[in-house]
Amino acid sequence: MSALLRAEQLTKAFGSTQAVAGISFDIAPGRCTALLGPNGAGKTTTIRMLAGLLQPTGGKLSYAGVKPGQSPNSLLGYLPQAPSFYGWMTGREYAVYAARLCGLSAAEARSQADALLERVGLSAAANRAISGYSGGMKQRLGLAQALVHRPKLLILDEPVSALDPLGRHEVLMLLRELKQETTVLFSTHVLHDAEQLCDDVLIIRNGEMALQGSIEEIKNNHRMSVITLHIEGDDHSKQWCVSYQGGAYVKELRRIEKGIELVVTDMELARRELLGQLAEDGIRVAKLEFGHSTLEDLFMKVVSG
Amino acid sequence: MSQWMIIWRKELLELARSYKLLWLPLVFLLLGVSQPIVTYFLPDILANAGNFPQGTVIEMPKPQSGEVLAQTLQQYGMIGSLIVALGFMGAVSSERNSGAASMILVKPISRSAYLLAKWTAMLVLVWGSLTIGYLGAWYYTSLLIGEVDAIRAIQALLVFALWLSVIGTLMIAGSVWLRSGAAAAFSALGLAILLSLTASFLPSALAWSPGQLPGLASGFLLGSIPDAAGMIIIAGAVLTAAILYAAVWRMRRMELP
Ligand SMILES: Nc1ncnc2c1ncn2[C@@H]1O[C@H](COP(=O)(O)OP(=O)(O)OP(=O)(O)O)[C@@H](O)[C@H]1O
Ligand SMILES: [Mg+2]
Repeated sequence: MSALLRAEQLTKAFGSTQAVAGISFDIAPGRCTALLGPNGAGKTTTIRMLAGLLQPTGGKLSYAGVKPGQSPNSLLGYLPQAPSFYGWMTGREYAVYAARLCGLSAAEARSQADALLERVGLSAAANRAISGYSGGMKQRLGLAQALVHRPKLLILDEPVSALDPLGRHEVLMLLRELKQETTVLFSTHVLHDAEQLCDDVLIIRNGEMALQGSIEEIKNNHRMSVITLHIEGDDHSKQWCVSYQGGAYVKELRRIEKGIELVVTDMELARRELLGQLAEDGIRVAKLEFGHSTLEDLFMKVVSG
Repeated sequence: MSQWMIIWRKELLELARSYKLLWLPLVFLLLGVSQPIVTYFLPDILANAGNFPQGTVIEMPKPQSGEVLAQTLQQYGMIGSLIVALGFMGAVSSERNSGAASMILVKPISRSAYLLAKWTAMLVLVWGSLTIGYLGAWYYTSLLIGEVDAIRAIQALLVFALWLSVIGTLMIAGSVWLRSGAAAAFSALGLAILLSLTASFLPSALAWSPGQLPGLASGFLLGSIPDAAGMIIIAGAVLTAAILYAAVWRMRRMELP
C-alpha cells in the first residue's frame, strides 16, 4: 500500500443521522490534504474517526505499517477543533507531559518541548498557566503538543477558524513549514486556506464525498470562462440587465446585485458580441471582466449542490 | 518510566494544585480528632450549657477507647464517603466533557493505563487521608480516654480502608459510565448506602456482603468479630476488582468528543 492512510466507505451514524455516509480516500505520504466542507458536513466526525476517538459504524481505515486492530496512535499528531488543556498546568509542563506520554525520556521531553514552544512562538509564555492563554496561544500550544513525537501524519481540525487575521496568518505560515516535514491533513471551511497550502483537497457535503483530487487537476478540469458585468445604478442599464437574454455562447446566466454574470462556451465570440451590444445600447458599464472561474466558484457550486 | 507512572504523577500534581491533597486529609483529621475530644469534654459541655439546677451531678457512662474509635469510623463512613464523592465524582467525565481527555488519549498510551493511574491516585489520597485522620483520633483517644489495642486498631483501619476503596472505585467507575458528575456521585453513594443497609437488615442472609465491611471494622474495635470476617474481606476485594474491571471495559470503548 502506497498510501499512508486509506479510508474505504467510512461511515458514522449517530442514531438516525448519517454524519459521514461512506467516504473513501487515500492520504499519500508527504502530501498536504485539505478536508473541505461547510458547517455540519462531517469534517470533525471524519477526523475523530481517523484519530481513533470515534468508532466508525461502517467501512474500513488502514494505516501504512499498522496491523488491523492495532492502534495507529504513535503515527498520529492530533489537534482538535477546540483544544482543551489542563488549565492548571503551564504551557511548558503540558508540552513536556505530552512528550513523556509519547515515550520520550525526561531530558528529551524537556528539550523537545522547549524547541517546539520556541518554534510556535510561545517561549515567553511557556511558564504561565494555560488557563490564562488566549485562543491563539492555545491553538499554538495545541500544535506544539501534536508535534512532540514527530508524527508521520498530522491531523488538524480547523486549525485557523477561531483565529483573527494575524493569528491565522501566523498559523498558516507554520503549517507551510510543517508540510515540508510531515504529511498533513487539515479541515477547513475556507477554501482560500486550502488553496494556499494544499496539494490535495477532499470536499465533503452532507457526509458524502463531493469532489476529490489534487488542486491542479481540479482547477484544470473545472475551469470555465466567466464574464462579470457590473453597471451603474441608472434605470436604463438596470432595465437592460433584466431583459438581457444572452446568446448561443452563454451556458449559464446569473443576475447578481450589480449586474450579471455569464458562464460562456466561447470567450472570443462572447467578447465581441457583448462589447458591441453594450456600446450600441449605451449601457453605463462600471466594471467588465473577462476571466476564469476560481476554485471558490467551484467550491460554492459543489457545496451548495 | 512507564506511562502509567507518568500519568499517575500528573494526577498527584493535579490533586496538589487543586488543594485536594490538603483539604481531604484535613477534613479526615478534623473529624477524627474531634470525636475523642468531644467525648471527653461532653459532661463539662453539658454542665455549662444545660439549664440544670445548681449542684446537679451529670453521670455518664465513660465510653471505652474502642468505642470512641468505632464512632470515628462511623463518621468517616458518612461524611468521609461524601468527601470522597465530592473529590472524585468528575474524575473522568470532567476531562472527557472538556475535551482534555481526547488530547491525551490520542497519544500512544493505553486507556486502561489512563484509568488505572486515576484510580491509584484516588486510592493514595483516600488511604492517606483516612490514615492521618485515624492516627489523630487514636492519639487523642489514648491520651484522653484510654489505651487502645494496637493490633485491633490497625485491623479495623485496614478493613475500613477497603470499604472506602469500594466507595472510591464506585466513584471512579461512575465518572466513566456517566457524563454528569452529580449523577455519578448520586449513584455511587446510593449503591454504597444500599450495600450497607441491606447488610445491616439481613445480617445472616448477607453475611458475606461487602456491605458488612464498616460493621466488621467496628467489630474489631468493640471485640465482636463476626465469623465471616475473612469472607467479607475477600468479597470486598472482589467487588472492588469487578467495579474496576467494568470501568476499564467501558473506558476502552468510550467515544470521545
Ligand atoms: N454526537 C453527535 N450526536 C448526534 N449528531 C452528531 C454528533 N456529532 C455530530 N453530529 C452531526 O453530524 C453532522 C456532522 O457534524 P460535524 O461536527 O462532523 O461537522 P463539521 O463538518 O465538523 O462542521 P463544523 O464546520 O461546524 O465544525 C452534523 O449534522 C451534526 O449535527
Ligand atoms: Mg467541525
